[in-house]
Amino acid sequence: MTTTLPTGRSSFTGATAVRLDGVRKTFGTAGRAVVALDGVDLTVAPGEFVCLLGASGCGKSTLLNLVAGLDAPSAGEITLNTSRPAVMFQEAALMPWLTAARNVELPLRLAGFGRAERREKAAELLDLVRLNGAGGKRPHELSGGMRQRVALARALAATLRVGGDPEQSLLLMDEPFAALDAITRDVLQGELLRVYRSTGTSVLFVTHDVREAVRLGQRVVLLSSRPGRVVREWTDVPLAEAEELTEEITGHLREVISTHAAA
Amino acid sequence: MPQLDRSAEADLDRVGAGLDSLDAPVGERRPGFWKRFAWGFLPPLGALVLLVVVWQVLWAAAFWPETQLPAPLSVWDEFWERVVTGDVFEFVWTSVHRAALGFVAGVLIGTPLGLLVAKVRVVRAAIGPLLTGLQSLPSVAWVPAAILWFGINDGAIYFVVLLGSVPSIANGLVSGIDQIPPILPRVGQVMGANRLASARHILLPAALPGFLAGLKQGWAFSWRSLMAAELIALSPQLGVGLGAYLNQGSSLNSIEKVIAAIFLILLVGIGIELIVFRPLERAVLRARGLTSSL
Repeated sequence: MTTTLPTGRSSFTGATAVRLDGVRKTFGTAGRAVVALDGVDLTVAPGEFVCLLGASGCGKSTLLNLVAGLDAPSAGEITLNTSRPAVMFQEAALMPWLTAARNVELPLRLAGFGRAERREKAAELLDLVRLNGAGGKRPHELSGGMRQRVALARALAATLRVGGDPEQSLLLMDEPFAALDAITRDVLQGELLRVYRSTGTSVLFVTHDVREAVRLGQRVVLLSSRPGRVVREWTDVPLAEAEELTEEITGHLREVISTHAAA
Repeated sequence: MPQLDRSAEADLDRVGAGLDSLDAPVGERRPGFWKRFAWGFLPPLGALVLLVVVWQVLWAAAFWPETQLPAPLSVWDEFWERVVTGDVFEFVWTSVHRAALGFVAGVLIGTPLGLLVAKVRVVRAAIGPLLTGLQSLPSVAWVPAAILWFGINDGAIYFVVLLGSVPSIANGLVSGIDQIPPILPRVGQVMGANRLASARHILLPAALPGFLAGLKQGWAFSWRSLMAAELIALSPQLGVGLGAYLNQGSSLNSIEKVIAAIFLILLVGIGIELIVFRPLERAVLRARGLTSSL
């Protein structure tokens, strides 16, 4: 199985899980091309939790697709120092014909794991997201929150390689909790932090919810809209000042959005 | 980074577990076997009895001569005689094994063809409309050509059956694939599935409900085509299938034979639907939580 990483990306050893250098992405043909991302520089350190924050149209999802290798940048370079990034979308997108456990096993199967090992690893991962009793259930028998946890377990499974030493893994999350109700979202945020701490994976988390970004991220990166550029970053988000910080970032976000009122 | 202490984490676990049990959809209990049997079996039986009664009354009123509307009992006598002499098993076996072989061949040809049409743009543009056209062409139209090309033999019959079933099977797969939510293949891609693995593990299973509908229609078309071919292409070396039996009845001016033959052809159609396709379809839909329509 070959990875889908396009050429122009290289692995290197260093204290970076992902590095984006001057990444630019345009859609459409020259003349009426739309610039989605322009000159984005961003690094994620191994084991770091970075939240990408922005209003709609800021190219957050585009950026995530580029890092995931679903699309290629028009200019600039993306350097990955991890195994194939795992991706979680807003929808759980579980295979409706497979049980929860089989859904988690699917990436392991694609990676060539044997049956016994698949079972074992899938059980471990379901245990990690506290779904050890629900492995035999089908997606339609699970609640939205449970489905999203199965999707998390599946994403983590996709980072595993046969016989591979535990490489640094990277989890890309595209507004994974946006479609859930408030209380489920709250619980899943806590759940994600727990899983994050116990796996040591790097996370690049896209959201438009400032509170969520402040709660989850060690670093919050604010993107502007059309074209998406990095406006500001906040590092080492301290818990005590979370409330003020949320206010401050919300202020900046409003400013970014307001600049589009004239256009 | 926010740090949760141990008791907060235990709290979170309890809230999470509570949400799981509250939010998980409550599964509907399946009715028991006898109830399902009663619902599936009794209404059609009632309809059949009603039909026979109306038939008997019409016959007794003698609106039409006996050579056009026979008594239900004399059709039953003809049918029963075929059963006693064992002819009926020969007829049914000759036809069903032909239709089944033709259908299997149709699946083997139609499945890769459908995959190609669904996933390769130029192939879809080139033969997609042709496939849909063929689907609406009555395959009996191929019988004269088949006889001229192959002679009156099994080859001609299988040719007609294939032309009847392949377009339906391929088109069923195409529409099944077209209806897959685009997020699923994307998930496959980020999990590192190549084209082949994606087809095997994602596209084909995701397209299964649509494909199954295509298979069902493909079976119906191959059964119809077979009857048409058997009715027209008669030869001692072909053996006597249901179509040939129907033809016999017609040439002997025996309306009892004709109606018995139609009844048998219908019976095979219903039987295959009930024994093969209905349970398959139910199993597939139930696994996906799509049973509310059944």
